[in-house]
Amino acid sequence: MVPVEWYLILASAVFCIGLFGVLTRRDALYFLMSVELMMNAANINLVAFALYYGDLTGQVFALFVIALAAAEVAIGIGIILVLYRNFGETDVTVPTEMRW
Amino acid sequence: MVDAFAYVPAIVLLPFFSFLVALGGGKYLPKGGAFGGIAATAGSFVLSIWVAVTVLGGRTYNETLYTWAGGEQFELTFGLLIDPLSALMLVIVTLIALLVHVFSLGYMNDEGETGLPRYYAGLGLFTASMLGFVVADNLLMAFMFFELVGLCSYLLIGFHFRQEGPPSAAKKAFLVTRFGDYFFLIGVVAVFATFGTAQFAGDGSFPVLAEQALNGEFDAWTPLGLDVGTWFTLVGLLVLGGVVGKSAQFPLHTWLPDAMEGPTPVSALIHAATMVAAGVYLVARMFGFYALTPTTLAIIAFIGGFTALFAATMGVVKEELKQVLAYSTISQYGYMMLALGAGSYVAATFHLMTHAFFKALLFLGAGSVIIAMHHNENMWDMGGLKDKMPVTYATFLAGSLALAGIFPFSGFWSKDEILYEAFIHGLNEPLLLGGWIMGLLAVPVTAFYTFRMVFLTFHGEPRSALARDPEPVRWNVKGPLSVLGVLAVVAGFVNMVPVQKLLGVEGIDLLSQWLDNEFGGIEGVGYSAYNDLLATYAGYEAGTIAGSEEITLIVAAGLGLGLAVLGLLVAWLLYRAPEPTEHTEKLGGAKDVLYNNYYQDEFQVWLAYRTEDVAGGANVFDQGVIDGVVNGISSVSLAGGERVRRIQTGLVTHYAAMLTLGLVALIVVLGVTGGWF
Repeated sequence: MVPVEWYLILASAVFCIGLFGVLTRRDALYFLMSVELMMNAANINLVAFALYYGDLTGQVFALFVIALAAAEVAIGIGIILVLYRNFGETDVTVPTEMRW
Repeated sequence: MVDAFAYVPAIVLLPFFSFLVALGGGKYLPKGGAFGGIAATAGSFVLSIWVAVTVLGGRTYNETLYTWAGGEQFELTFGLLIDPLSALMLVIVTLIALLVHVFSLGYMNDEGETGLPRYYAGLGLFTASMLGFVVADNLLMAFMFFELVGLCSYLLIGFHFRQEGPPSAAKKAFLVTRFGDYFFLIGVVAVFATFGTAQFAGDGSFPVLAEQALNGEFDAWTPLGLDVGTWFTLVGLLVLGGVVGKSAQFPLHTWLPDAMEGPTPVSALIHAATMVAAGVYLVARMFGFYALTPTTLAIIAFIGGFTALFAATMGVVKEELKQVLAYSTISQYGYMMLALGAGSYVAATFHLMTHAFFKALLFLGAGSVIIAMHHNENMWDMGGLKDKMPVTYATFLAGSLALAGIFPFSGFWSKDEILYEAFIHGLNEPLLLGGWIMGLLAVPVTAFYTFRMVFLTFHGEPRSALARDPEPVRWNVKGPLSVLGVLAVVAGFVNMVPVQKLLGVEGIDLLSQWLDNEFGGIEGVGYSAYNDLLATYAGYEAGTIAGSEEITLIVAAGLGLGLAVLGLLVAWLLYRAPEPTEHTEKLGGAKDVLYNNYYQDEFQVWLAYRTEDVAGGANVFDQGVIDGVVNGISSVSLAGGERVRRIQTGLVTHYAAMLTLGLVALIVVLGVTGGWF
């Protein structure tokens, strides 16, 4: 059996890739994908621990997170559509009206 | 059997409802809401009679109804205290208020005044506040209603706010009485700090605790390690500050003559039953406390005697009807203070009662004359009114005889008792004797100015076109006058102590028995209980001359009555002429001094200006330090906010970076405190 540490290393790597994407990309679609990566990193953790402890709760939570991610994508795509309609592009550095 | 005491709150609330009704709907009601006020005060009067009858049946009531703030050390409460004293006062106040409401129909409505809802609302609130004050069972509640009474006097004195005089007089009344109330407020706090309670009566009330403290049975708090006796004297004097302000005693009497700017029925209410009476009533209410502090009592007596004489001399030269009455009020309340200081709780209450009747009568009589004279108040324009206004004349004369203290009118009995008590106690106490001498000297002066007023107003030939053809007055003026006229004549018969002592007729000192709990009362609150306290703690004992009580009594009464008749005769000689001339000129420079009220107003204004430096310093401190701190704090947060809001760049990436940094910081903190490294 694969030790649980390997899963955790994998999950941290995926999470960091997602975080890197959120912090460096300017296109809103990349944001969406990066957030998806971070969520899946969390899912890997949940499932790994469920296996490790022999408890199904973690897997159930993973299902919830998948459903949540689907909803999030729906809303995210909606926001991106509005963004595109108003500014003609999906670059998040352009709309900066909502500040002091 | 329905319990009368359950309806005591209604006595206070009925006039309060009439205030609300007149304020909210007076415009739409006939007579500007007058009938609501009349119905409410009549209801209160009937309930008060019922309560008094219940007290006569031997029952009293002393309950806390509502605790509005409570703490570890003490509770702030509203409650009712119904004993013979407050029951008597309830009847007096509601009766006078009722008659004043009826009289107002003639004085305000028939004269076509505007703003009547405001007027009747003011009267209702005034009556309600005074009644609340009367039934109060603790000093703090009394203080609150005391302040309300002051507010109402401000509203009513300044009723004609478009003229120049009334608003200024209203402000003066408010500020001068408020000056006294500052001391009262400190006194209330001092009572709470010392005893942890401000209840007037019953076990654990502050007069009882004070007595125990003097005996060393109760550990009272005192500041700076003061001796309890000295501290109690100070507390008594602080509370007395409010009394001196409201009861218009020297040196805070200056507001009262100016308060004549208010409508005449209001003057009657203020002087007879409400505001001015409140001060004397307060001392009577907490007499159990004052009886423990002989110094305070001596000061009260001396101030009272001095005010009685001082104000009476000013009344001699006044030309306006209401001004004469105003100074007579100050003077008569001086007598009541003299009585309280002399330890005679009954005499003071007795004079409070008779004075309420005859002074309300005189003011309403003056109001009737003022209606007839089309609001000209100068007595030199009157004259000869007695044939044209017989009812007003007869009742006014009864009131004047009572005020002058002529046998057998009500004022004679009460004033005689005051002077007698001051005399017998004064034989052993020089300050009291001083008060007595001044009180005695004021008797002929009182009789003189009273009858100067009567002769100038009603006798002789008319001295102006207005006086030749006065405007007739209606039932709503004559009715209240007649009721009060009868009371001014007979009210003295409830307490004929001298007759009882001389002739040995028992049972004609009803008021003394009433206040002495012979019909039942609260333990420790009553005439003989106070006398015991006075004898024990103040060392008061009655002296006699020639060793005989009868001789002392006859000498004291004879002196008082003789001097009153003397004053009356002098007035008769000088002013009982078809065409009286002004004799005040013969006084020379003294006349100017008297006419200008001993320059008291000028002196007080001068004194106020002397405080400019202190006030200026306080202003600098307030503007600079207090406001500076407040403004400083707000500008620091304003400038801080200005800087901090720059974080909000509007760029989503920056927010995400901040979230991440926050997460990292959280992990580092958790790691360090959790010992991961």
